[in-house]
Amino acid sequence: MSLDYLWQGFGVALMPSNLLIGFIGCFLGTLIGALPAIGPINGIALLLPIAYTSGLPAESTLILLAGIYYGAEYGGRISSILINVPGDAGAVMTAIDGYPMARKGEATKALAISGISSFIGGMLAVLAITFLAPLFGLLAIKFGPAEYFVLMVFAFATLGSMVGHEPVKTLIGCVIGLMLTTIGIDATSGAYRFTFDQPELHDGIEFIVLVIGLFSISEVLLMLEHQMKGTLKPLAVTGKYPTWADIRYIWWPSIRATVIGFVVGVLPGTGASVASAVSYTTEKRLNDRDGTFGKGDIRGLAAPEAANNAAATGAFVPMLTLGVPGSGTTAVMLGALMLYNIQPGPQLFTEQPKLVGGLIASMYIGNILLLILNLPLVQVFARMLLLPNWILIPGITALSILGVYSAYSSVMSVLIMFGIGVGGYLLRKLGFDMAPIILGFVLGKVMEVNLRNALAISGGEIGILFSSVLSITLWIMAVAIVALPWVIRRWQARSASPAQ
Amino acid sequence: MSASSQSARASGRFAAVILIIFALVYGYFGATVEYSFSSDPIGPRGFPVALAVTLAAFGVYYLLNPGEAEAWPEREGRNAALVFLVLSALCVLGMDHLGFIPAMAVLMAGIARLFGATWPFAIGSGIAQAVLWWSLFGPVLGGNLPKGPLGF
Repeated sequence: MSLDYLWQGFGVALMPSNLLIGFIGCFLGTLIGALPAIGPINGIALLLPIAYTSGLPAESTLILLAGIYYGAEYGGRISSILINVPGDAGAVMTAIDGYPMARKGEATKALAISGISSFIGGMLAVLAITFLAPLFGLLAIKFGPAEYFVLMVFAFATLGSMVGHEPVKTLIGCVIGLMLTTIGIDATSGAYRFTFDQPELHDGIEFIVLVIGLFSISEVLLMLEHQMKGTLKPLAVTGKYPTWADIRYIWWPSIRATVIGFVVGVLPGTGASVASAVSYTTEKRLNDRDGTFGKGDIRGLAAPEAANNAAATGAFVPMLTLGVPGSGTTAVMLGALMLYNIQPGPQLFTEQPKLVGGLIASMYIGNILLLILNLPLVQVFARMLLLPNWILIPGITALSILGVYSAYSSVMSVLIMFGIGVGGYLLRKLGFDMAPIILGFVLGKVMEVNLRNALAISGGEIGILFSSVLSITLWIMAVAIVALPWVIRRWQARSASPAQ
Repeated sequence: MSASSQSARASGRFAAVILIIFALVYGYFGATVEYSFSSDPIGPRGFPVALAVTLAAFGVYYLLNPGEAEAWPEREGRNAALVFLVLSALCVLGMDHLGFIPAMAVLMAGIARLFGATWPFAIGSGIAQAVLWWSLFGPVLGGNLPKGPLGF
């Protein structure tokens, strides 16, 4: 297996302009991650239009967005530890042991331990992606249109099963996202679908309008609703840095969590929140003999942090090799690539070695930068928690408006963004997650094209969707992943009932 | 069952009905898409119709199992959201006439006020943010922002 793409990538990532872009991405990502309730997906949604309209090449945009992504995964722990409010979904488990440590006056140690375990998880996962992603690419070559269609069904099934506790809402979100992609001119037949004679709809819903509306405007509306509840005062960053003994103590939990995080991250449709929850539960089962988990155990802090960083990196594998994102955030990044007319897939490693290699090389550099940023400069990021909402929220609103306006120079697009934001807010109030809508949106066109190509090959015979070993395996996995949690719940309920 | 839980279920059922109606309307328009030629057997109608059927099926399941939902905001929260949306729409529509900085300063000040700033702080930060964003997206990034009578 050739790693030429990686050496070419280091050539790209080490260019002074891309190093600076990577640094800016990591810095902004950590700031964004540190803010409660604003996660990587919001940050990427806000900054994507700036990158796109400022004329950055695709590889630089991807390096910037990836820097924001894993920067936010690092930064998410800061508010979890200091105010017990996770900066993003992946940092929820971090608060369980991190906040008690901060309350005991060990905030410095908690932040440093979580920074180091994030580094371990992130770095090992990049190593894994370096060697595994090209192998996935080789597997992906075996995918024809029918297999691709079934793969996407599998991605939605995984998402429905793993995200949230109400699968039907996740699946409805996916279908809404898929439906949105059917608006506009059908590329195959030239037919106008759902355009209602409105020229603005001929090109369909613009990705940036959708993503900013769903994530940014709906978030502002939620914040507006909750702002009466008052602000939380962060705990001071006090205490000592961890010792080598502490680092040795978290080494194996971090390694285990990295493996779990990477595998969960690779599964299409899942993400850092699932990875950190699974790794925390595993570590607690393995090591919580004295009942210290939940009371400030550094292993309980290190495991979810290593896992969510590994998952964030693992999520790139299906995105780059199969064109199926591993998380909501990589779904947005996939959309970003599509803005540059780049369709990820098995050919990406041979056709765009600088892009893929540059991205992966930037992950190595980014993790080192983030470790440096997050140990001595953690006080600077912690100060973000003191920023009042009356400065922050107008800034987010301005960035949203400017992001859409600068991309399309259209007031109508900005108004549509607000409309989508209201829709997103209502759905979020009803318990819907926004990530499945984005996943459906970025996969919709590819899914339809592959279905139609498969049926064109078979002359309309639907059996082609079940004709190869690969597609049958994917169907079985999709059914199993949907049915298993239900079967397990039934089984648990049945085995619990005789005891009652 | 508590009042909030009942309210959540009612909201869920209402949303499910809306989704089912939407699926039917979407399916109808999808099934009547006009086209003269398609190189594949299902054409531009098949995928939308399949999606409509899927959404309707999920909608029925959701109707029967509405699950959990957050409580809707109190009157104060609703009013604040309404003010935010109306102010945003007015300022966005007014950008072409007033110019970017004046329209954005009004919007930024209004949002700051909604988020608890005193009037002097809201106005000060509104003007400062409008100038900051104009500088960044205009001269620095080379964006083409709306110009009012004052040229900014």
